[in-house]
Amino acid sequence: MSGKNLTAALMINLACLMLTAQTPWFRYYSLEKHFPGAIPKIVYQDPLGPLWVGSSQGLFLFDGERFEHYEHPAATSHTVTAIFRDHTDLLWVGFSDGGIYHLSGKQLLPWQPEEGLPKVAITGFVEDDVGKLWFSTYGEGLFYRDGVRLYNINSDDGLLANDIYTMAVDKRGRVWVGTDGGINICQANKEQKRISSLRVKDGLPDEIVKCLLPDSKGNMWIGMYDKGACRYLIDEEKFSYPVQGWQYGEVNSLTLFEDLDLWMGTNGHGLVRYIFEENRLEQVPGWENEKVVALLKDVEGNLWAIGNGKNLAIANRQFEFLALKGTDVQAICQDKAGRYWVGTKDGLFELIKDNNKAWSLAPALPQKANVISLYCDNYSNIWAGTFDKGLYCLNPMSGKLQHLDESDGLTNNNVLSIAGMDNKLWLATLGGVNELSFDETPFDGAQLTIKNYNHESGLGTNFIYKVFVDSQKRIWFGTDGNGLSVLDNGIIKNYPFATVLNPITDSLEQIRLHAVYSIVEDKKGRIWFSTDRTGIFAFDGSQFKHLSLKEGISELNISALAATPTGDVLIVHSQGIDLLNPETGHLIYYKESTGTSNLDAHLNAICNGRENSVWIGGKEKIVRFVSLKEKLEIHPRIRLTGVSVFLQPIDFRNTHSFSYQQNNLIFSYLGLWYTDPTSVKYRYKLQGYDLDWRESQDRQAVYSNLQPGKYTFLVTGTENEAWSDEPIVRYEFEIRKPFWQCWWFIAFALLAVTGLIYLYVRFRDRRIQRVNLLEKEMISSQLNALKAQINPHFLFNSFNTLVTIIEEDAAMAVEYVEKLSDFYRSILLLRDREVITIEEETALLKNYYYLLQKRFGDNLQLDIQLNGEPGYVVPMTLQVLLENAVKHNVISKSKPLRVCVEKLDDGYIRVSNNIQPKTNREPSTGFGLQSIEKRYKLLANKPVRVHSGMEAFSIDIPVLESVANENDDADRPPT
Amino acid sequence: MIHALYSIAFIIVAVAMPLVAEGQIYLTFDGSVKFRSDAPLELITAASDQLRGALDTEKRTFAFSVEMNTFEGFNSPLQREHFNENYLESSKYPKATFTGKIIEDLDLTQPGTYEVRAKGNLSIHGISRERIIKSQVKVDQNGLHIQSYFTVLLEEHDINIPKIVYQKIAEEIEVWITASLKRK
Repeated sequence: MSGKNLTAALMINLACLMLTAQTPWFRYYSLEKHFPGAIPKIVYQDPLGPLWVGSSQGLFLFDGERFEHYEHPAATSHTVTAIFRDHTDLLWVGFSDGGIYHLSGKQLLPWQPEEGLPKVAITGFVEDDVGKLWFSTYGEGLFYRDGVRLYNINSDDGLLANDIYTMAVDKRGRVWVGTDGGINICQANKEQKRISSLRVKDGLPDEIVKCLLPDSKGNMWIGMYDKGACRYLIDEEKFSYPVQGWQYGEVNSLTLFEDLDLWMGTNGHGLVRYIFEENRLEQVPGWENEKVVALLKDVEGNLWAIGNGKNLAIANRQFEFLALKGTDVQAICQDKAGRYWVGTKDGLFELIKDNNKAWSLAPALPQKANVISLYCDNYSNIWAGTFDKGLYCLNPMSGKLQHLDESDGLTNNNVLSIAGMDNKLWLATLGGVNELSFDETPFDGAQLTIKNYNHESGLGTNFIYKVFVDSQKRIWFGTDGNGLSVLDNGIIKNYPFATVLNPITDSLEQIRLHAVYSIVEDKKGRIWFSTDRTGIFAFDGSQFKHLSLKEGISELNISALAATPTGDVLIVHSQGIDLLNPETGHLIYYKESTGTSNLDAHLNAICNGRENSVWIGGKEKIVRFVSLKEKLEIHPRIRLTGVSVFLQPIDFRNTHSFSYQQNNLIFSYLGLWYTDPTSVKYRYKLQGYDLDWRESQDRQAVYSNLQPGKYTFLVTGTENEAWSDEPIVRYEFEIRKPFWQCWWFIAFALLAVTGLIYLYVRFRDRRIQRVNLLEKEMISSQLNALKAQINPHFLFNSFNTLVTIIEEDAAMAVEYVEKLSDFYRSILLLRDREVITIEEETALLKNYYYLLQKRFGDNLQLDIQLNGEPGYVVPMTLQVLLENAVKHNVISKSKPLRVCVEKLDDGYIRVSNNIQPKTNREPSTGFGLQSIEKRYKLLANKPVRVHSGMEAFSIDIPVLESVANENDDADRPPT
Repeated sequence: MIHALYSIAFIIVAVAMPLVAEGQIYLTFDGSVKFRSDAPLELITAASDQLRGALDTEKRTFAFSVEMNTFEGFNSPLQREHFNENYLESSKYPKATFTGKIIEDLDLTQPGTYEVRAKGNLSIHGISRERIIKSQVKVDQNGLHIQSYFTVLLEEHDINIPKIVYQKIAEEIEVWITASLKRK
């Protein structure tokens, strides 16, 4: 064992390396490149996600790639000076001329309160605890809206000055304004105003307050004209002054990363930050002469800055970079005292931050050594493992240095990894594992014992890359070619294979582990390790979980793992850094856009540092990762930006129903991921149409010719293509059926058709019934007519008449017989017919009358007043009526019977006679009035009218207008 | 008439007293106030041309006043009586006043047309409310010509309208002011 005292003289031959300060990596966007003359003035991230940029040429929405200009109607000023999204989702935009607009769709609409608008610049909007909108002006004080009224607070009300630079709301809902005369704290209810002030006499360092920023604890940070920044503790009601020695002039803007640093945008001295842990101010390199007008912290942990020369800049605050020209960091660690140690191929160096801002590398070894592993023990000793030269142990306090190599009992001079616990140390070498035990400290003559674990003791191989001690005091080894090994209570267990559950086949699979490079433990005690070619694994003591490209790991060439203090696992690979949430499996990629793409990190050149930090050594740089205290968004913020029907934008928030013709829809959406805007990919699905998700990089989805039905449009965005737990935006809508496909229409139509059929059937039934009845009646009337005509009385009378005539006048007898014969032929001819013309009936009647006349002579008078009238009557109607008249009345010379047949104006034929009733009635044939009435009821709508007076009797027979003689076929000529 | 003169004197004293004697004071005695109540069942308009006021262009302060019983032009004499007796209680609160200061820092002695906002207390029915009233001021050699429009919510001034006539009187009354002020 050779111990050497390290002296300053020995160190001279190694130069002290100077480095620049650590700084976030900014990337820049130029609004002016897209819109010449548009100079950005303010930047605002609204709660819905988008980043708004107010410029000298109006309002822009920045999605990370493009600037979208929002026009506003002709106004005197286009310079946006304030932007705010209120609790009703209304976006307010204030201009330098006092104009206030709000966004409606893609248009800025002027706000026109009855009270009028200021004529000076609007410098801010806020909402107080009860949702009242306040806005500040530069020249007219403060305004607030309560109900329908607008109220003003100015110097007459006690405001320190009417020129307000800035406005903020504290945790009690009070509105703070920064003026040229100090701070006013205002509350108002209708016109009741309560105004208090904080001035120089109250402890405010500078009366000109340019910016105000509330922090998460509810305290107020104050940026001033001349004195930097201070803080007001609201509960204690006092100022605190952490920022000392300010020499950077006016503070234009503030932003804060909790417990990390306060950023100040200055007027000509660039970006200055106050680092809490180190209680130190630092000017950000590269920004020294910049006029920084606006600062913003977004929800992804990015810092935004607007500078006069740099336009719009963004940096991810989680990463800071330290440039090391000509130096590649092979190992890094932080000791108990907080000092950083770096191993390079030239030796061991201390990373020193001087009082200003610069870092330097101070050599700590007297000779050149290729330091590839480092470990800081509990006694503040630095252990440095080398290639070929064994192990160095340095006590920086005493300057004592020890060197151990194969001659001291190490099995190999190549020490690739060192881990320790209490008074023990394990070295991963190319000759197995060496376990070093020491009593007190390795110096001061303490006894060092070395124990070896190698192939013979049970290790799968002697080539060990990594050694790691977990919280349960198990020692884990990453081997070359034989996977993972663990030393637990003196027993070595090897895991050359990982048994994992294949979720697709639901069966266990064995994966060969080969080389294991890096091992860490998460907060739940699971061991995470990276392999040379199969991604990373988690091992909980019994089961392995495998994460590879399929699970979203962006690169298999992994150089180091680190567990962050917040419980995430940092995966350093050749393309950048993946941040893994071990619980959800969610990954965030940090690549080119965060400056982490070409680290060329050395194997296991990583360590956990103070302030939630992880330090990663790379080629010519060190990266410092910090877990932010802020709750960060881990997904792109996706939202539906529009729906168009046949290219016509609609108010999609209030429209969810479309007609069957509105079936051509375009959905526009936007996923915002400012950390790496170009990495955002989308997938969407129209439930009710698509069976599966469609992946796309477009920001719109087109659906045409959609059938009627209910649909839900789903869209989600990812920045890592893992598609695991991204929030989904949904839009439900319905395309209505055309009316003829609606149930009510179909039901109505069915009902109508059924009704029509029913009516038709009923109508037909009734007609058939009527026809049947008519037929029956006709048959019975025919029978009756026949019966009547062969009435023996009639024949007897006729023959009696004939006998009389034969003797007197033979010729007339012949005529009489002929008439009688004609009469009977007519009856036979006409009886089958339903109706006959009036003319035919008249002929029959005349014939009949002739026969009667021969019997009664002039005692019977028939007066027919018909002259070829059109129309029809039921056969033998008039004959029967005449017969009836003759039958029922006395006919004598003294009492002649006068029968009159005449046409009435209302479509009737009247048969009338004078009444002179017989004393003894002839027996009725049954055929008479009744039969006529029945038949007319079936054939005509009009009834038969009977008038029976004292003197005269008359019957009116309706004339049938035009009855198609249906029974023409049956109408056979008599034989 | 004597009474009117007293009230003018009061305004002038109240407003102009704190000012220097040679302050730029402009006065009016015959400004017009017109109001309109557009309720579902009835449209009521009435006007008074006895608006009196004073404005100090140097301090940008002003005071205006109108006697409630000078309003004419209701739909019926009874309505006018109701207006004065029941709603505005004109005997108890004879005047409506508006006093305050112009927000804009303008030189109102320079000829031109300006849009100004007057911040002050509007007192109607004995209830004083802080209001910002937008007005147009035209300045020429004859003096200042003011035109303004604003609304008065009955509720804000505790003017209670019985339920039965609610549909006849609007809750929001529109008011127009036209006045020409001459240099003192």
